[in-house]
This record gives sequence, structure tokens and C-alpha cells, in this order.
Amino acid sequence: MIVGEWKPIAEMLEKLRGVKKLLLVGCATCTAECAAGGEREVETLAPLLRMAAAREGGALEVITKTLERQCELEFVEELAKLTEGAEAILSLACGIGVQALAERFPELPVYPGVNTTSLSIREKPGLWTSRCAACGDCVLGETFGLCPVARCAKSLLNGPCGGTRRNGKCEVDENTDCIWTLIYERALKRGRLEDLLELRKPKNWSRSRHGGPGRIDREDLRV
Amino acid sequence: MNYRSGSRLEKVLAGGKFALTVEVGPPRSADPEVMRQKAGLLKGYADGYNVTDNQTAVVRMSSLAGAKLLLEAGCEPVLQMTCRDRNRIALQSDLLGASALGIRNCLCLSGDHQKAGASGKLKGHPGAKNVYDVDSIQLVSILKGLRDQGRQEGGDTVDGPVPFFIGAAWTPLAPPEEFRVLRLAKKIAAGADFIQTQAVYDVRRFASQLKKAREMGLTERAAILAGVIVPRSAAMLKYMNKNVPGVEVPEELVKRMEKAGEPQAEGVKITLELLDALRGLPGLAGVHLQAIEAEQLLPEIIRAAGLYPRPEV
Amino acid sequence: MSGGLKNSAPRLVVLYCANALESGADLAAAVKTAGGFTVRPVALPCSSKAELSHLLKLLAEGADAVQVIVCLEERCQFLVGSRRAEKRVERGRMLLKQIGMGEERLGFARGNGLKVEELMSLLERRAGLVRGLGKNPVSGEGEK
Repeated sequence: MIVGEWKPIAEMLEKLRGVKKLLLVGCATCTAECAAGGEREVETLAPLLRMAAAREGGALEVITKTLERQCELEFVEELAKLTEGAEAILSLACGIGVQALAERFPELPVYPGVNTTSLSIREKPGLWTSRCAACGDCVLGETFGLCPVARCAKSLLNGPCGGTRRNGKCEVDENTDCIWTLIYERALKRGRLEDLLELRKPKNWSRSRHGGPGRIDREDLRV
Repeated sequence: MNYRSGSRLEKVLAGGKFALTVEVGPPRSADPEVMRQKAGLLKGYADGYNVTDNQTAVVRMSSLAGAKLLLEAGCEPVLQMTCRDRNRIALQSDLLGASALGIRNCLCLSGDHQKAGASGKLKGHPGAKNVYDVDSIQLVSILKGLRDQGRQEGGDTVDGPVPFFIGAAWTPLAPPEEFRVLRLAKKIAAGADFIQTQAVYDVRRFASQLKKAREMGLTERAAILAGVIVPRSAAMLKYMNKNVPGVEVPEELVKRMEKAGEPQAEGVKITLELLDALRGLPGLAGVHLQAIEAEQLLPEIIRAAGLYPRPEV
Repeated sequence: MSGGLKNSAPRLVVLYCANALESGADLAAAVKTAGGFTVRPVALPCSSKAELSHLLKLLAEGADAVQVIVCLEERCQFLVGSRRAEKRVERGRMLLKQIGMGEERLGFARGNGLKVEELMSLLERRAGLVRGLGKNPVSGEGEK
């Protein structure tokens, strides 16, 4: 799912200077899954914001609401009756949710409380690691189900660089496996090492963000 | 003789002679004198002079400019080109430009990631957006396409020759070790004419990998030059052993440097021993000698190793 | 942090796992005898019932400090409950520090068969730690 983490609270407060009534909106889907923007996190952040505002001599009223999904306009509509008197919205959804709120409530400043970082899996409680880079040209069929675009720091497609540490970790981050080492091991186990000898040509990045803002249009789904 | 590039390095190798390349690091400045001075020190001492490309992701004078300055000063450069900072458009464009300026050797590298780079006190640019549009093997292939087919990666043609002697790097001792020779094979299949390896301190282990390369016929298809970095202190050896992937330093060498009364002299001694041991390895076409930020040590070492003067071509 | 009035009678809330105290301990009576600070005791079936948001809300609503009392790790009847509480308090302290409220406002202690007197002296220590921070700014006095 889409994951992210809280912006530093100081950064959030910077935007909320002078705001007396805030609508703090969570999302019960992706950002709840990664403990950044679900109801629990909303209810944790709200008192922190109130206390921080009080420290500066101001008083901040925080109205909280967690939507099932902020990227669904139907759910966003539930906020309409809560915006009365609110001077700003702080969203703990991913960037998609923040924009959905901003689009529905253009008269209100909508600020992100979360930095969306990646498309990740939860490896174990509290650990989310990137799996997909949304490159638009999936190579998982050629790399034994391990993605070098997302999981290699250099997105190499033809094997590991010379930076694999002795323990098989990546030179960029000691906690990250060298994905090409894992791909090699899997190829070996499958008896398909020769697949890795094939020269992979330069990638077509035009279907990713590099080709411009993404757009998938299925006219057949509109009547 | 039909040369691919006509560079001195290519000619020395084609003539079956043991080749020697050295590394010249460009300055963190816009001062051309630094490169000219280094050229002055090293002229005539090597067959090719590698100019690094923003090594460890720290901004230095570009390798293209550095290479041109060396060329003007009488040292044939090996242009190092990484995939970290330039997309395929810029890479091909820079290659055409380099060729126009008379640069004939290019070493294609993936490039140190900007977060891993900036050794020690330097800050680097860890917040930069990296490119890695293509990888080093694809770059080799792209360069071969320009040279041998007159064709750009996207299909457009280029007019006229783009002579280049194409190089790639090899880190034979980084894990997974068994895959490293296969990856070397891939680079050579993609078009690499010469290979420069990561620094060797453990000759025995390197020899074992080189043997596998030989058995696969790779040493006939490309010239492999073993990398040698002149040790200046025990701390330096320990640092490299710990932090530079693929560099394996045997304990005895560290101990020797620690015990030495004059570590610098001991480092030169070790370098000479390494050069000697490597020259004896069947299939090795040469060495790539580096004295990081201490290029002034190289002439003495090259002479003492019996590698001076360089062969006539 | 405060430069204002010293907080003379800090208001404490103690969330305690009922199993950490000596059986039959009468906390309600003891807290009335506290001198120099007030205590609102909250009994929990397990310390892990206290979410971080609860702890922070108590502070945002005017408590000067919140003390969490949990069982010894190996005695937690819910196995990892006390560990959860510990992690939450750690995170809470970090967040309080981030906003300049003072990590001292959130306390954590383990106990096994705690006597009421021991608990009270623990609370007295906590009161002491936050007295120097001044009144909780949400109460609108003392700050600025």
C-alpha cells in the first residue's frame, strides 16, 4: 500500500500559525495501515497540536474525523458538515487524499501532515519496505518476482553493481538487502541462471512519472 | 591494423604489451592548472589517464573538462562516465562531445549513489535527485551502438565515426562472488574492450576469479587491468577493507603498515609487491594504478616497478 | 518550556495496571493524603489498554503529568501488554519533547505487588520532576 510518515510536528505547526479551528482528517486505509494517518494517529496528533498551540499562547480547537478513504469523493463529502468555522484542514492521508480534500474544499487551506514516501509492504509490525516504484513497465517476470527498479538504489537491470557489502547488503543502506544478490540466489535455486545473462535493454520510463503526469483512461467503463 | 579508437591504450594492448593506466582526480575547483600540473607530473608514465566523474558523488570539475585538459597536456585520458547524474540523452551527447574533443577512451560506470558517497568530512549532495536512467552495462551497449552502428539508443543515426575504446569496471570480490564472473561476461558481451577492476590486495583471491574469467575465454575478448591503490597508512587499509565493497585487505598487510616505522615507504613497498605478483598472473593485460590525492607518488613507483618507460607504439 | 510561575500543585493522573499493585491496595484513600500534588487514579485491567492518544489527551486536557504503572515484563498477564505500554510511553515522551512540552510529563514505572506508599512516593517524584516545568500551558496560566 501507499505509505508515509508524519511530517515533523514543527513543520505542521508552521502552516497552522494563527489558525484557531482546525479540521484534522485521517484515512482508514493506507495511512492507517502504516500507522501514520488512521484514527489512532489522528487522536494522538490532535492533543499534541492543541498543547503545542497553547505553548505559543494560542488556543487551537481541533475537530477530528477519520474517513474510510480520502481518495473516494463519496467519503470526502462526509466532511462538508464539519468544515463550518474551520480555518484549515490538516490531512493525514497520502498525497492523493490531501488533493481530494483540496479539490472538494477549495476555499480552505488543506495541508499535508504526512510525507508520502512509497508503495510498500509490511514486512513485520512496524516495518514497511518499498516494493514498487510504479515504473509503468513491470519487469517482475524477468527478475524472479523481486523488483530491482524499486529495491535497487540504482534501479540496475543487469545485475549488481560493485557496491554489495560483504553481508549481502546494499552500500547505500546497511539495512537494505542487495536485491540483485537475492535475484541471483533465486535464479540459482530455480536453475535459471542463464536468464540473468541476457542483456536487458534500457527501460522505457515514459509510462511512469517521467513521461508526464499519469493518466489511465478507460472509456469503456463510462456509459 | 584496424583500431576501434586508435588510442594509445588500445595500441599498447593490441601489441600484446602489459598496459598501465593511472587515475587523476579532478579538483573541487574551476582551476585548469591543477589538471595541468598533474599531467606534468605523470606525462609519459602511463598508457591512459583515468579522470574520475564526481567520485563519491562529490562535485568536482567534470571528467569531460578534466579529460580535455589532460589531453592538451599530452596525457591520453580515460573518460570515466557514470550513470548516476545523466540520462541517456546527456550521456550520448557528452560522448559525442568527448569524441569531438579527441577523447578516445571511456570507462562506463554505474556510479556511487549520492547517499553513500561523500567520504568523511565532505557533505556531498545527498538530497539530489539521481538519474540512473540506464545502467553501466546498457551504457557500454549504447557506446558500442554509437561507435559500430552510428546509431543512438533511441534509433536516430549519428553521422560519421565515434571512435572509442570502451571500458567497464569489475569488482570480482564483492558478493555474490560466483555471479561476478558472469556479470563480467555480460559486460564484455555488451561491448566492453577493456576492464579495470576494483583495488586488489588479496592477490590469491583475485587470481582465482581471474582464472575463472580466463576459463570462460573472457581474457581473450577483453583486456583486464587489475586495480591497485597505493596504501598510505594502516588506517586507510582498514577503512577500505571495512567500507569499500569488494576491497579485501589481508590482515598481514594491515599489520605490516601498523608496524612500519615509515608507513608511506612501506605502502610503496606493498604496492611494488602487488604489481609484481599481478604481472605474473596469466590472462592479466595490465594494471590500473591509483594514488588517491597523491598522484606525485606514482612516477617513483612506476619506475621502481620496471614499468617505465612505456612501450613504443 | 516555561519561564513562568513554578507549578506549586501539579495535577497528576496515574494509570496503573491493577495487577502491579499489592492486592487489596486502597489507592483512593491514599491519594487524598498527597501533599503538594493531586492525583487522579485510573485502574486498568492491563497497562496496554492505555493508548498513546489517551495519555496525550489527559495532558491536553490539563493534567500536568501522567504516570503509567505496569507489571514486570515477565509477569504481564497479557504477555506483551506491559511492553506495548512501554513503547507507547517512549514515543509519547519523544513527541512531547518535540513540541517542547517536556518529556518529564509522561512517566513509566514497573512494579510487582507495589504497596500504596511505594506508589505514592513514585508519584511524589514525578510531581517533583514536572514542578519545574511550570503549569501546563493548556490551562492558560503561567505561560508567556
